[in-house]
Amino acid sequence: MVNILLAFITGLTTGGLSCLAVQGGLLASSLAGQIENDVASATGKAHKRGKFARQQPQNPGLALPILVFLTTKLLAYTLLGALLGLAGQAFQLSPLTRAVLQIAIGIFMLGTALRMLNVHPVFRYFAFEPPAFIRRKLRRTAAGADGQSLGAPAFLGLMTVLIPCGVTQAMMAAAISSANPLTGAALMAAFTLGASPVFFAVAYFATRLGARLERNFTRFVAVVVLILAILTIDTGITLAGSPVSITRALSRTYAAPGTQASEPVQASASADGSTDTITINVLNTAYSPDVVHARAGAPLKLRLVTNNVRSCSRAFVIPAINVQKLLDATGEVTIEIPAQAKGTQMPFSCSMGMYTGIILFDL
Amino acid sequence: MATRLTLNITGMECPNCAMTLERMEDTLPGVLRAEASYRKAQLVVEYDPQKIDEARIRAEVERLGYRAV
Repeated sequence: MVNILLAFITGLTTGGLSCLAVQGGLLASSLAGQIENDVASATGKAHKRGKFARQQPQNPGLALPILVFLTTKLLAYTLLGALLGLAGQAFQLSPLTRAVLQIAIGIFMLGTALRMLNVHPVFRYFAFEPPAFIRRKLRRTAAGADGQSLGAPAFLGLMTVLIPCGVTQAMMAAAISSANPLTGAALMAAFTLGASPVFFAVAYFATRLGARLERNFTRFVAVVVLILAILTIDTGITLAGSPVSITRALSRTYAAPGTQASEPVQASASADGSTDTITINVLNTAYSPDVVHARAGAPLKLRLVTNNVRSCSRAFVIPAINVQKLLDATGEVTIEIPAQAKGTQMPFSCSMGMYTGIILFDL
Repeated sequence: MATRLTLNITGMECPNCAMTLERMEDTLPGVLRAEASYRKAQLVVEYDPQKIDEARIRAEVERLGYRAV
């Protein structure tokens, strides 16, 4: 739920303008391609990227085609989110596979950010370029629209999935990571919905960002994607079971009071001393305790207790022993960990690598 | 007989720019085919030299907000 809200806010803040920069041309052309050409040829001015023609505010009749465009766009991206979630599910072979996938997605996002920052032409290969015949079809549909028919905006809204902007690609990565078609669909729907008001407002008033503002905004979006890329790679590293990662360091440093054990906890031994047991409370934003000291050479029972938990902390993984459990929102699950050698460090986390903890076999 | 012209383009910032450049295929008489690549920063134009010349195509690139180098 938190992730979906975050997706909506991302759409509302950076998604709208960023996607408008990539997809706005299609919408503007379908609404007023002819006017755009007329204005451009009358003024003799360059209208870079055909984004939004330098027109005066449009008539109110444009609201409907814009809404149709945004609605079909929403449908297309929701479906895409479901498919990506499904793909993520198919790839969910093991925590390590997911970690590799997440790191690969992070690298893709990193390349996208560096492309947006124009660091080197090689990063242009991180951009999705539709084949020439699809570009031609899109262009001609947009140019052929007469502003009366709703077919063109509807079709072009659907086609925006072929030209996702940088921030959208980041959301697509999140949909894959969710490994669930419903969550993937919800993430993409929330993001697209969040982006819609800005898209609508700018398209309706047919204004455009000044070149300078636009360039600065692209840089801003690139930096956001860069940060998301680093976080994605880091959560991939965390998920792979690395005891060292930014996420692990931050979760120890900035743990909210009362949500995490400030002191490491020691496992308690059974009456006959053969098995140790530790209870971990699975919270919405953390595992408590998140550092457990356990006896080496004795099996350990890890009791996971959930109480109305809605976040991804429910998807509990221990990469080292290939444990992957989806816990009930409220309930209790015991995981049996075989005896470990002294000095073993066994990191655990949620399936997104966001919430972490570690078992230290050092007693 | 169509003439083929390959131009290196600067100023393309995303794949959508390639689509903008390719519009000349529909709007510029004499241009038979225009294919731009954002990745290669290149525009390939096939045109009828009886109807249009290279200078006009370069001017169109400039008009669209890019530079042919």
